[in-house]
Parts: sequence; C-alpha cells; structure tokens
Amino acid sequence: MTYHTSEKIYLTAAGLEKFKKEYKRLQKIRDSKIIDQEELIRLNERIEELELIFKSYELIKVPPKNRQHIVNLGATVVVEINGQVDEFTIVGTLEVEPSKNKISDKSPVGQALLGKKEGEIIEIKTPIIHHKCRIIRINYQTQ
Amino acid sequence: MNSIKKFKVNLENLSSQERTIFKKLIRAAELISSLYLKQKNKKYPGANFYPPDVSPEEIKKAARNNPSILNPYTFVERTKSGELEAIPYHIKFRKELKPISKLLEEAADLFEDKNFSLYLRSRAQSLLDGNYEKSEIIWLKTEPFKFGFVIGPIERYLDKLFFTKCAYQSWVGILDEEETEKAKEIKDIILTGRSKILDKSEKVDVSKVGIRVDKTVVFSGLIADCMFTGTNLPNDVRVMRKYGSRLTIFETSLKEKFDQDHLPIFQAVFDKKLQKRYSPKELYGGSLRCIISHELAHSLIRYQDAEKRLENLFPIFDELYAYILGIQRCGLAFLKGVFSQKELEAILIMHICRNFTWWLDLLKNPDVYHYAAGAAIASNFFLQEGAIKIRGGISWPNFTKLFICIEELCKILDYYLAAGKYQEAEMFIKNYGSFDIFKYFSPQLKKFIK
Repeated sequence: MTYHTSEKIYLTAAGLEKFKKEYKRLQKIRDSKIIDQEELIRLNERIEELELIFKSYELIKVPPKNRQHIVNLGATVVVEINGQVDEFTIVGTLEVEPSKNKISDKSPVGQALLGKKEGEIIEIKTPIIHHKCRIIRINYQTQ
Repeated sequence: MNSIKKFKVNLENLSSQERTIFKKLIRAAELISSLYLKQKNKKYPGANFYPPDVSPEEIKKAARNNPSILNPYTFVERTKSGELEAIPYHIKFRKELKPISKLLEEAADLFEDKNFSLYLRSRAQSLLDGNYEKSEIIWLKTEPFKFGFVIGPIERYLDKLFFTKCAYQSWVGILDEEETEKAKEIKDIILTGRSKILDKSEKVDVSKVGIRVDKTVVFSGLIADCMFTGTNLPNDVRVMRKYGSRLTIFETSLKEKFDQDHLPIFQAVFDKKLQKRYSPKELYGGSLRCIISHELAHSLIRYQDAEKRLENLFPIFDELYAYILGIQRCGLAFLKGVFSQKELEAILIMHICRNFTWWLDLLKNPDVYHYAAGAAIASNFFLQEGAIKIRGGISWPNFTKLFICIEELCKILDYYLAAGKYQEAEMFIKNYGSFDIFKYFSPQLKKFIK
C-alpha cells in the first residue's frame, strides 16, 4: 500500500483508526532504537507515507437517512451480478482488501455502482466483460 | 511409463532429522508405484480392475447381489466357476503394503508434530486394513503440515468403465508458505458470492476449504503418470460435506509444465503479434491462477448423484466445469479490481494452451482422456462461437466473446452435472468433443508429438 499522488484520499472511520494505530506502533518501534539501519529506512518511509495520508485524507461520512438509498463510498452493497449474489463494501484505494470484501471505488464494479440507487439495474461494461447488475440492498455502518 | 517423477527442490533448510523422515516418506512413495503398475492396463477401459472379458452389464448385475464388486478399493476377479468376486486391495497387496506401512510408522516415530505423526500412523494402518476414511478425516482435520504427504488408493481416472476404482498414488512435498498465503487470498475472493445456478450442488462452507502450495519433491503412481498441477481431496462428497476439502497446488510440477508445454504451445499456436503482448511471467501467472481457480471451483460443484447418473462421463463434465467456473469466478474478481484486464487475458490464453496440453498428454497417456475430452469441448465451443479464429495460428482471441462462451458453458455444464441424463451428456460430447481442432495444429506441434 503506497501513496504517491495528489489525488484525494478517502478513508472510512475504521480505516483512519487502523492507520492511526499503525502510526503509533511504528513510532514506538522507531523510538525503541533496537532496529537495524535497513529496517529503520523502511520504517521512516512508511511513517512519512502515513503522515502524508493524515494531512490529505477526507473522511467518508455516512450520508443522511434520505440519501442512504444511493451507493456512495463506504456503502456495503448486496448485488446480483449475472445470477450470483454478492456483498461487498466500496472503499477508497488505500483500504482495499478483496479477501475481506472491501473493493475499490476505482474497480469496474465500484465505478458502475457509485451514485446508483437500491433496486436499480445497471450495466458493468469493460472491454472483456459486460454484465447486468441489480442492486438488492445498500447499507451504511453507523459511525 | 512414468510411475515415479522426481523434482529438484532445495532441501537445505530441513534439519537432519527432517531429512531422515523425508527420505522415509519418499521411499514409501516410490514403493507404492509398483502397485499402481499392477492396476494399470492401457489395453482395457477397466484397466486391471476387472477381468478383461467382462461386460459392464455383467459387472452391474453382479454388483446388485454383491456391492463390493463396485467398491472403490477392490479388484474384480473370476472364480474357477466363472463367477465374479471382489478382492480388497489391502488383501491382494498385503505383502507389498507391509514395508510401506512400516516406513510410515518409522517416520511417525521421528516426527515432533503430533498431528502429523497421528496422520502417518493412521495412514500406515489404513493401507493394511482398508479403512482409508479414518486417516483421511484425520488429514482433513489437522492439515496444514510442513510436509505435504498423501499416499494410498485415491484417484479414479484409470477406471474408464465406471469411474469407481481408485488407483494408488503418492506425493511428497514441502509447504511454500509465501505462495500459500497468496493462494489463500485468491481462495477468499473466488469462493465468495452465492451462485443461483448451483442450487442442487452441495453448499460450501468456505472455512472448511484449505489450500496449500507445495514444492513437490516426488510424484508416484497415477499422479506421476498424469503429471497433475493441482488436486482437491477428498473425492467422496459425503466426507467433503462433513470435514471440508484440501487443495494442493504442485508448484514444481506446474513450473515444469509451463516451461515444457504451456509456454512453447503458446509460441507455437498463437499469432506472433499477440505473443509480443505478454511476457512469460504474465503467462505463468495466468497458468497458476487457472489451476488455483480450477481446484477451488471443484469445491463449489459437488453434486451427490452426478457420478451415478453420468457414470464414466462424469469426470469429463466435472473437470471441464471446474476449469470454466474457475475462469468465470476470475472474471468476477477482475470486475472487483482484484485482477487487471491483462491478468484476466493471460488466464484465458493459458486456458486455451492448457487445452492443447491435455490433448498432447492424451497422445502419450490414455488415462488423461477425461481432461482431454473436456479440453476439446471447450475449444470447439470457442471456435464455433467465433471467440477464437484460426488463420494459420490462433489469431487475436475475441476476449469478450470468450467470456460470453465461458458464461454459456457454465450454464450448460451446470445442467448436465445437476440433472443431465447419460444419453444427452453423451450426445453433447459427440457434438463438441472432436479432437480435430487440435489435430489441425499438428504441423506446429510436431516437436511435442513423438
């Protein structure tokens, strides 16, 4: 997970908390002075990266109740894609964990779903795969 | 005939005790190959499991009164009076199995991992008493171990009459922790989502599906003959439902297959312009994802009555569907941003190359017929639907059409496994199973055909 660009960084509250914990842990290790030079370089790089994230992140907020039928960042969506029922949360690129069903807003599914409403049937179009996708349910975790 | 296959693996990281244990397991694996050779007989579809003069009808009739005739672990022989009788493997081969069992006991004595020792002792006993399920359950419950080791009568591909009798095999390997972690991530992605199509299949408890990538040191028996690159056990749906399944990817076997077959076939049959787009590393990644997704898909398509309904045709549909469904699931992973478009293209290209490999393997070994027939079905389907075009070589594949074919094949194969009748399955194979598509490329594939 590396952050290089000037793009906006979207984080969920849980994601931000995770990065803060990591930051504290790495600082502790650095202060303990029992690490070798090579590891210290890597550690400092990661600490700088996290500091950059803290400077430029935007917290994903749970939308008001009357907007919760629309897919936004942070939404957990139950969809039917080509006969298969699937459930995942749409997150910013820094929080992507496909094996834990956290998928990127930049992925083909993420891009196609953002801004769409519960019950809507949308098309996911890529150069290889075209699929219809029905949005069954949208949930937002209260923070 | 390759009944033992050895791979070069660096064993420097093993302790001297581990090396001693390893040698014993390898010796046991080598010894089991002689039993496989006694089961194998290329001349008869039933190999040496049944008398050569027997008809399938006679076997079915005898099995009605004596179910052990169609037990997976018996030889069928004729008595002096001409009747059929079943002789369990562990009785027929008692003399040969004793030293193998002893080696397993000796290895168990030396091992510090109590679970692995328990498994080895149980397996040693099962070879002598024929109760293979008990040790299989211990294996399913206690994996993963540092060593990958399986021995016994397991796969059924040698029995082309009924796809029932198990052939002896063994493998010994070492867990590749780094690659196993990567494979676990793919597992979680591929097995998520509930498919509506698969209503009649056994439901999968993903937490009970284990996957490991091994640096395999030795293959023995059927697995050496067929040079598999992955496996998903147990074969018994009943045991799988209760205790889950374990997938092993044989990294060393896959690397050899890729270098010797998949990549050279890609260079021989595909258009030159297309070849420039993909590096060997990208293609190897495609081949690896093909086999991982194939083995994972096996966990999704366990239909309790399919084997009885489709008899000897069952493995054709089962293996092909696992390939096709695996790729379909990779497509969904691509939509979720897990794989890039190029990575998905490499998976599709390597699937086509692997289809050629199965045909080339069939020319040397009839025991891979089920895989080769499935490979022909997929390839002919792609050609008829215009997903691949042949002009000299295979020109640039139409990836969009290829994926439509994958979706279509998923529905068709799912039907045959869930509810299809023997005769209609036979007709489908007749319509799509011609090997001519591969034979067309014989001039380009001359160096593979010896």
